[in-house]
Amino acid sequence: MFRFRLDGSSGVPPYLQLVHQVRQALLLGYLQEGDRLPTVKDVAADLVINPNTVVKAYRQLEHEGIAGGRPGQGTFITATSSPVPAQTQQDLRASLEAWLRAAQEAGMSDEAVTALIAAARHGMRKERV
Amino acid sequence: MIWVSWRQHRGQAIACLALLAALAVYAVIEGSSMRTAFSNDGLVGTCLARTQGTGCENGVGAFMGEFGSAVNIAFWSVCLIIPGLIGVLVGGSLIARELEYGTWRLAWSQTVPRTRWLAVKLALVTGGLIVLGAAITAVIMWYRAPMDRLTGRLQHNIFDYEGLVPTAYILCAFGFAVLAGLLIRRSIPAMVAAFVPWLAIRLVVEFVLRPRFLAPVTGPMSARCQQPSVGCGSGISSVPQATGHIGDWVLSMNPGNLVTYQPADRFWPFQFIEAGIFVALTATALGATIWLLHRRAAWTALSPAHRARPRAGLRSGRPRGGAVGGDGAVVHVAADLAGYRGGTRANVTSRLDPRLRPSVPPLTRGRRLAGRADQGR
Amino acid sequence: MAEHNAEGSVPALRTDRLGRRYGRMWALRDCTIEVPAGAVAALVGPNGAGKTTLLEMIIGLLEPTEGQVAVFGETSRAGTAQALARVGYVAQDHPLYRDFTVADMFHLGRAMNPRWDQQVAAARVDALGIPLRRKVRHLSGGQRAQVSLTMALAKRAPLLVLDEPVSSLDPVARLEFMRDVMASAADADLTFLISSHVVSELERFCDWLIVLASGHVQLAGPADDLLAVHRLLTVPRAVPDAELPGTAIHRTDSDRHSTVLVRTDPVQLAVQGHAGWQADPVSFEELVMGYLQRPSAATTGNPAPAAQRPAASAKAVTR
Repeated sequence: MFRFRLDGSSGVPPYLQLVHQVRQALLLGYLQEGDRLPTVKDVAADLVINPNTVVKAYRQLEHEGIAGGRPGQGTFITATSSPVPAQTQQDLRASLEAWLRAAQEAGMSDEAVTALIAAARHGMRKERV
Repeated sequence: MIWVSWRQHRGQAIACLALLAALAVYAVIEGSSMRTAFSNDGLVGTCLARTQGTGCENGVGAFMGEFGSAVNIAFWSVCLIIPGLIGVLVGGSLIARELEYGTWRLAWSQTVPRTRWLAVKLALVTGGLIVLGAAITAVIMWYRAPMDRLTGRLQHNIFDYEGLVPTAYILCAFGFAVLAGLLIRRSIPAMVAAFVPWLAIRLVVEFVLRPRFLAPVTGPMSARCQQPSVGCGSGISSVPQATGHIGDWVLSMNPGNLVTYQPADRFWPFQFIEAGIFVALTATALGATIWLLHRRAAWTALSPAHRARPRAGLRSGRPRGGAVGGDGAVVHVAADLAGYRGGTRANVTSRLDPRLRPSVPPLTRGRRLAGRADQGR
Repeated sequence: MAEHNAEGSVPALRTDRLGRRYGRMWALRDCTIEVPAGAVAALVGPNGAGKTTLLEMIIGLLEPTEGQVAVFGETSRAGTAQALARVGYVAQDHPLYRDFTVADMFHLGRAMNPRWDQQVAAARVDALGIPLRRKVRHLSGGQRAQVSLTMALAKRAPLLVLDEPVSSLDPVARLEFMRDVMASAADADLTFLISSHVVSELERFCDWLIVLASGHVQLAGPADDLLAVHRLLTVPRAVPDAELPGTAIHRTDSDRHSTVLVRTDPVQLAVQGHAGWQADPVSFEELVMGYLQRPSAATTGNPAPAAQRPAASAKAVTR
């Protein structure tokens, strides 16, 4: 059974953390199509959070096409996104580390780096739309 | 609700039974020896009946010396407060304990309205006290039977322990204590606050009213008593009374050999009158308690915070803020409650007007919105 | 993403201008709130704000001086069996009869509640490892809290009111208690109204927020939406509240800059972007504290007790 984590100090809304974790697990291959996600009650009890938050996360996953609910049976992963191959992951990681080193040498703080990444991602999403 | 009342008073019931048992043991022991002595001293039958005790002074003297001594009288005088104690101990904590410990919040938020809660409790406990009172009285009357044939039953210290009045005393103290518990909200102060008026009323009724329940009779002193003889006075130890009869209650002896007294056969009428007084007081107190409980809306003392901050001039009539950006101190986000469907968590989503919902992805710490340039759209 | 349900549903709780006066002092005034069915609502405020008064009127233990309470659409006179049956209650400090056993407490529940579910009660304490034969005074604080919660759940009322349920518990007991509350909320589709004066942990539990201070409701609504329409603005000190987008709720001034909690909508915010200004999302705690600290609306126009507020902005902030 897939288990979630909650980081209370990250500033990210809880339901988004759950969504991220599912997406992440999918990418890394820990979740596959057809896997059943834990019930709302289980997650709410496990993490001691409002079940509504879990519902919201599962709704978001549905909206993004990653998971879907089957009445009476639960919520199942529907995405067929194939995990990124290990080699590709390694290459990407290497180039990321290089970039981070460069940013550090240029004097950017961690926060500035995060903000830059978010802004760039945002800009790219805009372009896509 | 009956079970609940019983369970809450179970401890008290057991204590009362223990008290009754102790009393019964004492009564059986003393009462048996009294009966033996009674026949031995030659008091039985003809002597008393024919001579009203004047003919068997020695026997009377011996008997009274053994069982009617000053110590004995003092002991039973002190015990007069016991019905009051029983009543206040049972009644004082009935409501007050709930208020003291905050369990009223538990008791009165179940599906039983608090007046019914109280009514059932009072009915049960009152019934129990009546049974207890009757049992105590029966035991005492059995114990005292030989002695009563010498002293009669109207005297102080004897009347109070027989017939109907002991039960009535207990009930009255109980009623006062329950009411005090509601008003004062603490058990022990309530018990004290109930006991004092009970005692005062007891004394007033006994010494001021009881001699006058029915108009006293005035008559000549008995012939038998014209010449000096034993007895022929008044009071509990005088056998017979100045009227020449056992059982009369002599109130005063007047010049001219006249005696003012209450005849012995008025025992039961007096019992009904006195018991009636105390039962009426009980009913009033318990009725007031139920009524007050029903009417009163607040049970907690004002919290210190309330007392410290006078809320003079609170504004009323605030504008109803219905939407974001509305004026008024109350901010209500326009909430479409249709989104929350009772019974399922299916549709729990943001119900904000879509124009107001941020189209910027949810923010994380450290993300800045300084200036238009950074606004994603 | 908005799925609006065409049928309006009956809110679990609705109060209409509810007020309660003790002598000449109003403990609560003009309280109009709504809590939808199925929500877990938090009632937040400092001690003495009127939380317990409000809760007691909702439960039916206290008669309002003015206004009305409707639970699932029904208004009944306080204290009637009808009103009492609809709300389950766990009072502060979890009062129980100390010399009763747990089994006795359940017997009491069964005797005093027609809809009592003994299975639920027995199953819960069994799962929690609390022996039925043990006297209440021999239970730990956490266990007593659990027994109180069990009694409220076994009553099978659709609305449960918890008055500061965890303030007297140690952290472990606190977590276990809230875990059970969350599980019940998921399981049985109950509506919870939980009062607290500790804000920091509420964010994960509640989806509906009511802020109470000085006997008045300061803020009420769905938690997510409230967070979405508030921002924490950092602006130069000289900028008065009137020039800020939206409504300023609470302002803290430093030497050269001020931090202001504003209520606004993002469209407006975007339009008024200025250099040197910064808008951050506001945390749950900052939101609640901001509303608790804003100058009390009353009225008299007196400056707020918080001394750091300069007179100029005090005028701008009060309505």
